[in-house]
Amino acid sequence: MKLKNFPVRIAVLTALICRLALGIVFFYAGIEKIIAPREFAIAIYNYRLLPDWAVNMLAVMLPWLEVFLATGLIAGIYVRGASLISALLFLTFAIALAINLVRGLDISCGCFGAQSGNINWFYLVRDSSLLAISVFTLMFDRGWRYFFLRK
Amino acid sequence: MTDPQQNCQSKVASKLYPAIREAVILCLVTVIAATVFNMLRPSGIPLCGFSSAIILQEQQANIPVITLSAAYDLYLNKKVVFVDARDPFSYEEGHIAGAVNIYPDEAILQAAILKQMLSPGSLVITYCDGPQCPLSKETAQRLQLQGLSAVKVLVNGWSLWRDAGYPVAKGKK
Repeated sequence: MKLKNFPVRIAVLTALICRLALGIVFFYAGIEKIIAPREFAIAIYNYRLLPDWAVNMLAVMLPWLEVFLATGLIAGIYVRGASLISALLFLTFAIALAINLVRGLDISCGCFGAQSGNINWFYLVRDSSLLAISVFTLMFDRGWRYFFLRK
Repeated sequence: MTDPQQNCQSKVASKLYPAIREAVILCLVTVIAATVFNMLRPSGIPLCGFSSAIILQEQQANIPVITLSAAYDLYLNKKVVFVDARDPFSYEEGHIAGAVNIYPDEAILQAAILKQMLSPGSLVITYCDGPQCPLSKETAQRLQLQGLSAVKVLVNGWSLWRDAGYPVAKGKK
């Protein structure tokens, strides 16, 4: 994909930086949650959006998904799939945050494990920014190959 | 349909389909790895065993309680808003003077009004009747979730307050 009057190389380089940044964010977030699954389950429950049977399942699966996304994004494996899931995840997080901010609940974000701060509008802006970065990565990233194997 | 439109659609599709395929593979790998790791680790949690009732009990156990004398001191200094967590009928029969009636189910709706009633440094004290009565803790917990951090429970509050001869009121206010 091409941006009008924008050098392709800069777009690809920017996408690479975005991809690595996303990878680092996901890796940190995933590890923090894997360490304390019970606390993360409580953070999920406090959002009051899921039925009880789905809470533990998400608390177990989501951190590992984040770690695999991080691995893929940093190593350049399955980057399109990883950035697509990343975009969908941030969209979901943003919706969940927005609902509870409107509800006025004063609950832990759970974004980086149980010790995260309480939800606020800044977190929604941060999530939306990461969503935009994920979409940019999905559209413009060409993988490590572009930099190392290009003639 | 014109050619450029078809061209654009096929370009998007050619990018999106592989992305979806990769995403499905990543999700499958995640499900397997997460399930196996959770089964093997000592601190693993049951996949479908979350109980909100236990969590609620734990959260309610963390809500601080206040003694009758401390509550009365705050009342005299006008540093407290009492919240009667009983049903409206019991409230009308008699309640602590100045208390507002917030049943646990109404806490979300009433929290904003309660915030306006609070002066800086003042406390919310919830009460109901009987040492085992759960309503005061339920209301306190829901008010805390609404951002009211200074909430305490006066256990068996109505009986203690009335028997001590402290000011009470009847009716809807």
